[in-house]
Amino acid sequence: MTLSDLFLIMPIIITGCGTILVLLCGPLLQTRSNSAIAIAVSTAAGLWAAFSSTAIAPAIPGLAFTPLARLLIPIFCLSAAITLLFSHSYNIRRAILGEEYPATILFALFAMCVLPCATNLLILFLALESIAFAFYILVTIDLGRAQSAEAGLKYLLMGAVAAAITAFGISLIFAGSGTLALNAALAASGNRTIISAGWGLIVIGIAFKLSLVPAHLWTPDVYQGAPAPVAAFLSTSSKVAAAVFLLMLLNFAPPMTEMYTPLYLLSLLSMVIGNLAALLQKNIKRMLAYSSIAHMGYLALALLTGTKEGYAAVLLYGAIYTAMNLAAFGAIAALSGDEERSEIEEYSGVGFSAPFRGGVLALSMLALAGIPPTAGFIGKFFIFYAAIRGGELTLAIIGIVSAAASAYFYLKVVVHLYMHKPQTAAPQAGTPSESLALACAALAVIVIGIFPAPLMQLVDDLLR
Amino acid sequence: MTFDFPILTVLIFLPLAGALLLFAFRGSDAVSRQVALSFSIAELILSAWLCLTATPGTLPGAPAGFFIYEDAAWIERFGIRYTVGMDGISLVMVVLTAFISVIAVIVSWNGIKERVPLYFALILALETGIQGVFLGLDLFLFYLFWEMMLIPMFLLIGIWGHGRRIYSAVKFFLYTFAGSLLMLLAIISLYLMHGAQTGSYTFSLTELIQTSVPYGVGLWLYAAFLLAFAIKFPLFPLHTWLPDAHTDAPTAGSVILASLLLKTGAYALIRFGYPLFPAAAAAFTPVLYVTAVFGISYGAWVAFAQEDMKRLVAYSSVSHMGFVALGIAAWSPVALSGAVIQMVNHGVTTGALFAIVGMLDERTHSREIVTYGGIWGKVPMLSFFFLLFCMASAGLPGLNNFVGEFLVLVGTFRVAPMAAIGAFLGIVLTLIYTVRLVQEVLFGKENSPLTLSDLSMREGGVLAVLALAAIYLGVHPGPVLELVKAPIALLTGVR
Repeated sequence: MTLSDLFLIMPIIITGCGTILVLLCGPLLQTRSNSAIAIAVSTAAGLWAAFSSTAIAPAIPGLAFTPLARLLIPIFCLSAAITLLFSHSYNIRRAILGEEYPATILFALFAMCVLPCATNLLILFLALESIAFAFYILVTIDLGRAQSAEAGLKYLLMGAVAAAITAFGISLIFAGSGTLALNAALAASGNRTIISAGWGLIVIGIAFKLSLVPAHLWTPDVYQGAPAPVAAFLSTSSKVAAAVFLLMLLNFAPPMTEMYTPLYLLSLLSMVIGNLAALLQKNIKRMLAYSSIAHMGYLALALLTGTKEGYAAVLLYGAIYTAMNLAAFGAIAALSGDEERSEIEEYSGVGFSAPFRGGVLALSMLALAGIPPTAGFIGKFFIFYAAIRGGELTLAIIGIVSAAASAYFYLKVVVHLYMHKPQTAAPQAGTPSESLALACAALAVIVIGIFPAPLMQLVDDLLR
Repeated sequence: MTFDFPILTVLIFLPLAGALLLFAFRGSDAVSRQVALSFSIAELILSAWLCLTATPGTLPGAPAGFFIYEDAAWIERFGIRYTVGMDGISLVMVVLTAFISVIAVIVSWNGIKERVPLYFALILALETGIQGVFLGLDLFLFYLFWEMMLIPMFLLIGIWGHGRRIYSAVKFFLYTFAGSLLMLLAIISLYLMHGAQTGSYTFSLTELIQTSVPYGVGLWLYAAFLLAFAIKFPLFPLHTWLPDAHTDAPTAGSVILASLLLKTGAYALIRFGYPLFPAAAAAFTPVLYVTAVFGISYGAWVAFAQEDMKRLVAYSSVSHMGFVALGIAAWSPVALSGAVIQMVNHGVTTGALFAIVGMLDERTHSREIVTYGGIWGKVPMLSFFFLLFCMASAGLPGLNNFVGEFLVLVGTFRVAPMAAIGAFLGIVLTLIYTVRLVQEVLFGKENSPLTLSDLSMREGGVLAVLALAAIYLGVHPGPVLELVKAPIALLTGVR
């Protein structure tokens, strides 16, 4: 290991040291300083990754700074920074004052930085499970609320089972191919039966992580129970990480033919059931949970094609979905007082009493519905383009029809924001940090919607 | 014609600039009104100037018939370009849009009292979307503008509307959104087909026209396009969103919906539907004939039964747009020019009728026909314009609608006599509901003691300008026909 190798994996080092720093110094400092340090750490790591050149050769055994990492680490870091920005005020309102919150977010970020750098099955798995581990804590961080504890327990139990299944799948692939190195493990033609059994288990594990139907049941409860900023981070970065985990396992090659039918059904069911169930929700976070199930169905649709275009769509959609959902959950967090506004009805008239935050919430809803000129439209366009190009016309038609139905529940939020008389007291004034975070997310949604070319270029470079 | 600056881009985004200005600096209500009026008038002046200086012909490097053309790379990965171009048909629609937008701003002058800056910002944003639809020549760009029209209109109906405004707004949105999503899939399929055939992946209309689409596939793709356009049009039986949206929208919303938004469906069918899939369009022509003729009679029939004046005018739109559909279905130069001029005529007369109903509504807070009666003596000016536009709408010779309907009927009679005869019967029904409206509102006996004031300067000015336009188009449609002649020759020559 040389100095330049260290430079390459610097984002991992920065976030790792940052976690420890916040944990050690946290008790001596104020909440404000802890948040500031955590934001600075994640921004620094993101900037470092964005401006460093890539070298495919392993920096240290099991890790390499790949083009994939160069794309994803800034996205993860940015979303962590935005989450920390708007959770600062949120946590003060809820009296979640300990240093463990920023430290755990940073630890999750550390694992997310490791994930795209992994060149080894074990490290990949460890990274994925470390992310989940951090979220087990984050979901229950608001100890005062029973809902939060219930959500945490549900997530932990389901997550542990899914982790075990994924681990078993990986061990079967190892048994079939005889190596743990990522690119070699999949190129090696070992015992096909064992390997396909391994892949089957991995698909189940990933279906849980991405909350694809029928492994989705934990999602609404966890989103509802978790604090809004945690739900924001959980629904974006951890989902993207899981999708990327699958892409890396596949080594960007088409999936085995045996995986086609399960993926097809997962995608179909997620798009249809996610969107239909979201139609019935009255609670905004549950609605967003079902919406995220449907969106992961779109992602699975692009994955299923097994083409370069499909994988590019997955990555691009991951980035876009991160921006949209951060804006949505960020606005929910920023609009919450002592209690969150949980029912959609409670947002009545908020579009006028809190124009900026209400506007960002409305924008994120329109983006999630895929209406131009927001980023959501570009993402949906890319997904359906990749699907048709990959020959999945039937599934694309089913997906687009379910997307048309989904417009109804996204609009319902907009309708309440602007067209109903206020039912609850107007929200308190927003804090500067919340405004900054929301502005960043909203700006990303609009800018990617109008000028998607640079982001597409990054994705294409990586897949070349 | 060449310009030193991208004039079409300015034309499209000038209203949006005004909208953003209003949005960013929420000024006082009076200032917002004036800003909106200045921007919409600037847009009108710009488009009128284009109309006066336009020299038909083809700009070098542009597709045939387009005399202004702008093209820039946008998302190169997909071959998506920012391509806008203007031919005679676009020019006519652009001028109509700019004109009606000014009218829409003025008719909302006093009626809108809440959240004024946002209201005018949305009107201007809507104008950008509509101009974009009329000028976009890249299918992706067109789709973008097509969808961009939805949100402002949705908010206009939902926030400032009356009655079941939220229901109507959501219905409007979902109907049009669902229709267009399938068109998106069709656009992508066509794009991929063209790319596979020629190796050049592009959304450019002029290139996609040259795709050789297998007949069976073409039918499906065209059906997806037709569905999206027919909902906007609206063609029977996809019209059910229209009466609700028109009735519950604020006055300016109804004016823009009827005069402009419906035209985007017809325009897109002429510009994209037929040229892209000539064979499939020919196969679907009987369907178009039937829905057009049925729509003419059905709209008129249902209009006759309405008690709410706004609803009546809304159903009359279904009837009038049937003529546009008929002219497109016939696809002969005469019928197609009739269809285009009918689009303009319907924009002027129906816009005016909605404006008048809005003015009555502002005075009495009632749109029910039974409330009125015998207002002729009380408000002579208003009644005069009411009568004039009703007559225009009924197709009185010398007024604008007559020209369009006549051309459509003549053009259609050559190719489909039965359809022309059916449509002619529809005109008779039109006469019946119009006469009933005029008789029960203007004449007849007074049903309730209303204290009405006659038109103010602002209202009188708006209606006078619209009336001048109606009379001008009625007695001297030559210039408009001249403008659309060349592009229509090119379009029909394709077939």
